[in-house]
Amino acid sequence: MSMKLGKWKPGKIALLATVAVSYLFLYLPVVHIGLASFARNSNFPYPPKWSLDIMTRLLSNSLYQTALGNSLLIGVFAALLSTALAGLATIGLLRHAGRRAPVYLALFIAPLFVAEVLLGISSLIFNGLFLGLQGNIVSAILANVVHCFSYAVLIIATQLYRYDWRLDDAAMVFGASPARTFFEVTLPLIWPGLLGAFIVTFIMAFNNLEISFYLLGATPTLPSAAWGALRYGVKPELYALATCVNLIVFTLLAVMFVLMMTGAATFGHRPERERSAV
Amino acid sequence: MKGRVAPAVFLGIPTLFLAALFVLPLLSMLVLSVWRTENYHIIRDVSFHNYAVLATEGAYMTFLMRSLVMATAVSAICTLIAWPVAYGITLYGGRYKLLFTLAFAVPFLTGEVLRIIALQGLLGPLGLLNGVLLALGAAPLRVIMYTNVASAIGLVYLYLPIVVTVIYLSLLNFDQRLIDAATIFGASPARAFFEITWPLNLFGTLIGFALCFIPCLSATLAPRFLGGPNGTLYGMAMAQQFGESGTWALGAAMGVVLFAVSVLLVVVAARLVDLRRTGFTGFGRG
Repeated sequence: MSMKLGKWKPGKIALLATVAVSYLFLYLPVVHIGLASFARNSNFPYPPKWSLDIMTRLLSNSLYQTALGNSLLIGVFAALLSTALAGLATIGLLRHAGRRAPVYLALFIAPLFVAEVLLGISSLIFNGLFLGLQGNIVSAILANVVHCFSYAVLIIATQLYRYDWRLDDAAMVFGASPARTFFEVTLPLIWPGLLGAFIVTFIMAFNNLEISFYLLGATPTLPSAAWGALRYGVKPELYALATCVNLIVFTLLAVMFVLMMTGAATFGHRPERERSAV
Repeated sequence: MKGRVAPAVFLGIPTLFLAALFVLPLLSMLVLSVWRTENYHIIRDVSFHNYAVLATEGAYMTFLMRSLVMATAVSAICTLIAWPVAYGITLYGGRYKLLFTLAFAVPFLTGEVLRIIALQGLLGPLGLLNGVLLALGAAPLRVIMYTNVASAIGLVYLYLPIVVTVIYLSLLNFDQRLIDAATIFGASPARAFFEITWPLNLFGTLIGFALCFIPCLSATLAPRFLGGPNGTLYGMAMAQQFGESGTWALGAAMGVVLFAVSVLLVVVAARLVDLRRTGFTGFGRG
């Protein structure tokens, strides 16, 4: 920390106040609907009259059960595929691209700069008009992979960026095959990046509406079921649904946080650039 | 092991994948945009009829202008809020920096529909804000129910986390010792900020701005569920061509317009700034 800034009190207060207000803005609705979904007086649960009615109603709704299954399917397969592809792509970028690295990087992160709804619509046109495919879950998974892939590349790149490739060379000098080098040297060192990419892409594909919606036809996913219900007004069940997903996302990120805090995993932390290091 | 096979596998497979599932669909959207839809049937005649409709029918131009204004305003607001937040976290976050940034990711990863539901809980007629006002005996606030203001608040809520994360990552990669160097040579904190920190993180800021601007420009959900009768945005109108109205070809043309505007923005931004002076180190290891 800079001594000058430490003395510069009003600035510090203003910065911290902005941080606090932003978190309040982000979490107020989340906490509000969280309380509402566990209360009988769900419109204005202050103070809440606790009840599990809404949750029970949500969990016994068979539409949401089917939708949950589909969303999980899309999430898991999209995450597996995009993590694997992004792993390949990032290693390719760092080791094999040479001078053409910027070109490949631009291609690999280009989907970030195309709105999700455009990805959904253009895939729908391509599948429906040019391939003659009906809406199906495989198309939806593949279209989600396009979007998730770019995020996965960025997450894995922050990890691989600092990886010392001489370790691989050393293993191969001592006679290990490329496959064995990967599984016994590279993978054990880069797994946190892959896991992080898997978790984030899983959550993204699981919650995606605008890509999946156009490619699935009549198959419901959790977001599309919620979207359908939202057209007829906000119901307490929707609060409960959002709260359940919030809790799952929160738990997954908490796991990531613990892994990172205990040093079991590191994502793009560069100690040599910290001010205290020198 | 620097043979010919490895690059083909590592770079070739992802490139092929993107070519087949990202580039080809975008090209097919371009092709469809010069065809026509009549009575839910696609007629494969090449003409620029759809673009003529978009240019001459006043409503589409209004939607586009409204979307551009909305996206610019929302991205500017997000950037203005995100900078102090990201800077505050890097300066005072200490060992909890990570927790602070991950806490921003939780709402971001929850998905658009569910976050809109949460926002309805905040801004809707029966939501928290009006509930508080009614409980205090005041009249409900009409500005925030089904208006463009509500859409804008909704979009800021949706995209603030990504802007904060991008600017935070930029600040994290920024060599903070440079500030120390500047202060040692007598620069005031304000001068050090505007002459060192801001210019060297401009590239990250622009990426954050673009990653907010592009989805806002094509927003379909927030204006539909939060905006009012005057709140139709271009992306929402485009989505309707694929749903209710069934005029796919016109929708494809609208998609091409949105895509072109987004690309134009990125190109202009890249031209406006000298990348080497904005903290962009490319992808080399340094």
